[in-house]
Amino acid sequence: MHNLLDDYAHHNALRDVSPRLKLFIGLASMLICVSSPYPAAPLFVALFLSLAAVLLARIPVRIYSRLLLLPLSFALLSAGVVALMQGEGRVLLQMQLLGIDLAVRQEGASLALLLLARTFGGMCSLYFIALSTPMIEIFATLKSLRIPYSVIELSMMIYRYIFVFLDQAARIHSAQVMRLGDAGAKSSLHSFAMLASVLFLRSWEQGERLVLAMDSRCYDGKLNIMEQAGKATSLQMLIVAVYLLLASTIAVLGRGAFLL
Amino acid sequence: MSAMTGIIETRNLSYSYGDGTLALRDVSICLEAGRKVALVGPNGAGKSTLMLMMNGILRPSSGEVLFAGQPLQYDAASLRKVRRAVGMVFQNSDDQLFAPTVYQDVAFGPTNLGYPAEKVKKYVGFALQYVGLSGYERRPPHHLSGGEKKRVAIAGILAMEPQVMILDEPTSNLDPASSEEIMEMLDELNQGGKTLIISTHDVDLAYRWADEVILMKDGDVIRRGSGPEVFMDGNLIRDARLKLPMVVDIYQELASRGIASEGKPPRNILELCDLLQPRGSVGDGSVGKIYICDADGSDEKQILAIMDKVGKGCFKGAMGTSAKLLAERCGIPLDFTYGVIDKCILKALIGKDALIMTSGGMVEHTMKRISDYGRESGAVIDAVRLQPL
Repeated sequence: MHNLLDDYAHHNALRDVSPRLKLFIGLASMLICVSSPYPAAPLFVALFLSLAAVLLARIPVRIYSRLLLLPLSFALLSAGVVALMQGEGRVLLQMQLLGIDLAVRQEGASLALLLLARTFGGMCSLYFIALSTPMIEIFATLKSLRIPYSVIELSMMIYRYIFVFLDQAARIHSAQVMRLGDAGAKSSLHSFAMLASVLFLRSWEQGERLVLAMDSRCYDGKLNIMEQAGKATSLQMLIVAVYLLLASTIAVLGRGAFLL
Repeated sequence: MSAMTGIIETRNLSYSYGDGTLALRDVSICLEAGRKVALVGPNGAGKSTLMLMMNGILRPSSGEVLFAGQPLQYDAASLRKVRRAVGMVFQNSDDQLFAPTVYQDVAFGPTNLGYPAEKVKKYVGFALQYVGLSGYERRPPHHLSGGEKKRVAIAGILAMEPQVMILDEPTSNLDPASSEEIMEMLDELNQGGKTLIISTHDVDLAYRWADEVILMKDGDVIRRGSGPEVFMDGNLIRDARLKLPMVVDIYQELASRGIASEGKPPRNILELCDLLQPRGSVGDGSVGKIYICDADGSDEKQILAIMDKVGKGCFKGAMGTSAKLLAERCGIPLDFTYGVIDKCILKALIGKDALIMTSGGMVEHTMKRISDYGRESGAVIDAVRLQPL
């Protein structure tokens, strides 16, 4: 049950950097990505944050690229469709498929490129947060941002039990595979349905045991929240400021290079 | 029996589940403060049900539970009081550890008791240090081993300063070394004055560890007494779907062959050896020394100096978390990490010297245990308390 994103979040080299700063970088980068009208800024964000994840947080390149590959393949597919469906302008590529005329036009192509760049940049921002900041630090940050207490408390317990159920799901799955529950599409589907229903029942029981456990320890509506780890140094803040300034400048001015 | 100072007492306690099955029938027991009690019995004997009644999680169908002479009340305020005084460690640590980090989990009890933040921090620090997990504060429970999870669960209860600790199957799913370490920690807690109640299927464990064994079957208590009193009756044990502890089994076979004398069965390997080889017939009769070194208040340099002076050729053992951690920091290879006193006495009896590292109140306990052994068996072993150099 290892090599979850969570494990990297706990053991990466940026673990002790202020979680507020890391959250801020990630969220600000995402904002720049979605608001930039040209692909240059999202690509710059993707490059910068990928370098940060690999060089500063020391996430293995192989893992990082595999993580990106999955959402990227979806983005490529949808960008392809957008390129074919959209727009006016000069025809860049034309083909016939099953008797249907398909053409990639200028407007469609640049929109597809923008879409791809934004998704890519957004993914990198999200992974930067996920790989460098453990959930517990995020809870602490949420608390300092005055998010309602019950929301945080609930998310803390959900977070904790995700791993318990993940473990159980893995065990049920191996028990099924051991008895050939994955032979053929039909039995796979059936096994999956059983796994889901068993897991539901178990989580229900787990919930009841949780209440017992909390009652035994005098639960009175209070769950401690960890204190904030690490404060941002001025050097770190300077680097982040320079990066965000650069990214927004590119977002505003970065038209030239990507005009088709 | 009103003269006994019972900390937990049950009177004609019965409990039936919703479908009418009786889980407990008319159980009346009185547990004295400061003892180590083991509930043994087959699956479905009612051990867990009884335990859940002791801190008011389950409410009896009839009869009553008394804590320190007072019948349990089931309003919220009284329940809080009882649950603080009677801490419960569940069998499955994942049921108990629900917070996302070790710190938060141990802090749960003190926080809900309304302690101010500083006090919570102090208590958590103390509890984690006690179980040997200082520095694990920010770890999430899913990054811990089974033994570590159990320690965190115990720390979470310790932080509430209970008088009684109830542990449901504390050693199930743990590797042998972790189980021994947990049981040794419970011994240490008992030395510190806490009353301990465990449930277990492990007859060997119950036999050697408990002051009092309560044998249960089908919701009834069928025998109570010391380990030898309960476990000598083979028929009773077989009826309860248990088996004889290994030492008792060996002893009974030896006695029936006339090799060991009939009478009181041995509690452990040390007593079994004594039984087979009475004093005077071992080796050339010379007895080794046992050095006891207080790990509290000694730094690494002092310990290493002591090791240089007397440690050569000694068997070395460490008892308790802080002593073990100190030994690890000093790079001292340990021969014994559990059952340390008995092992060292066994070595002393064959003329070898031994050194025990331990801390605090356990030093006195160790000295007493060795001198008690000398008085009972006649083999006087020199226990030398080492002063820091």
